[in-house]
Amino acid sequence: MPEARDSSVKALLTEAIRRVLKQASLATLATLIEAPRGVGAKLLVEEDGTRVGTLGESLLDEAVARRAAAFLSSRAEASTHFVKEFAPELEACGDARILFERVEPEPRLVVCGAGHVGAALARLARQLGYSTTLVDDRADFVTRERFPDEGIELVAALSWTEAVRAAVGAGRNVSVAVVTRGHSEDEECLRAVICARPDYVGLIGSRRRTSIVLERLRAGGADESILKEVRAPIGLDIGAVSPEEVALAILAEIVAERRGGTGAPLSVWRREKQG
Amino acid sequence: MSTIAPDELYRLINEANSRGERVVVATVAHTRGSTPQRRGAKMLFFANGEVRGTVGGGCIEAEVWAEAREALRNGAPALHHFQLTADEASEEGMVCGGTMEIFIDVWESGKTN
Repeated sequence: MPEARDSSVKALLTEAIRRVLKQASLATLATLIEAPRGVGAKLLVEEDGTRVGTLGESLLDEAVARRAAAFLSSRAEASTHFVKEFAPELEACGDARILFERVEPEPRLVVCGAGHVGAALARLARQLGYSTTLVDDRADFVTRERFPDEGIELVAALSWTEAVRAAVGAGRNVSVAVVTRGHSEDEECLRAVICARPDYVGLIGSRRRTSIVLERLRAGGADESILKEVRAPIGLDIGAVSPEEVALAILAEIVAERRGGTGAPLSVWRREKQG
Repeated sequence: MSTIAPDELYRLINEANSRGERVVVATVAHTRGSTPQRRGAKMLFFANGEVRGTVGGGCIEAEVWAEAREALRNGAPALHHFQLTADEASEEGMVCGGTMEIFIDVWESGKTN
């Protein structure tokens, strides 16, 4: 009975999706949303090419699996395509429409340092939907009284290295802001972070101060290509002064990195057009 | 009502399905113009009337709820088009005036009768 088959496939799909999310992996979920029949059929295409489910037609499954990589690199969370747009050879189902969705965990932000900037950053990140971890070695800086939002995970670190490593994990879908109170703490955090190669790493401080920290890491044998990716000084140039403004500048840069934005004003084209 | 994290979303679907319950998942599939939610935003509808997540505020919510309840009854997924006219938008006091295509999907596991 086709319906029973469809139902057991759904159970496999939810299991597979939950596994992808748990492993902080990445996958594309394709759903047939417009077609003469089979609407709701699903195919999960994992990053390594593993497939779960079916859209009901093996050639269509293959075409969608091929398309999945292009969809993921577009960074879109979801988009719809007619089959004829990406597989014109499948004439019989050209007018069928597929919803592509990105399956990945909620973005995470690890904030090293719970001073004024770190605190403002953790609070703002929550509003933007980031699952947030705030780490400090001063236990009285990371209390529930200061941060009543249970969505902010608080870590009182005995050792920066261990706490930061645990918080960053495999680095997938993770941004890290290093905003501690001093050089040596910054250096220790950065050293612990960069091996995991998170999506984004930023270091607060003046050009001079951040150069000193990076130079020490370089002297310690850190990989140059990784050091080049560190945003130091952290944040976009919006002239931020207050801790909340600095937090905004940092999150603006993190969002731009995640969504593929340039950070430039959207109105630039208008002035260029007017000459 | 706030957005829902992906792990939470699929945990809830999985749990309801394991109890033999149907779950309706509304997803913003496509948008044009100014709309209150991003593509990919999701809202869950459970058999007991509970909801989680959001696909946008007052502009279209009543219509989405009606379609979702229908899907909970008949188990049939379908794509729905919603027009957000400027008039409606201003009445709602909301910033929207585009079109939204929302896929109303049905998740159920083999245990459902």
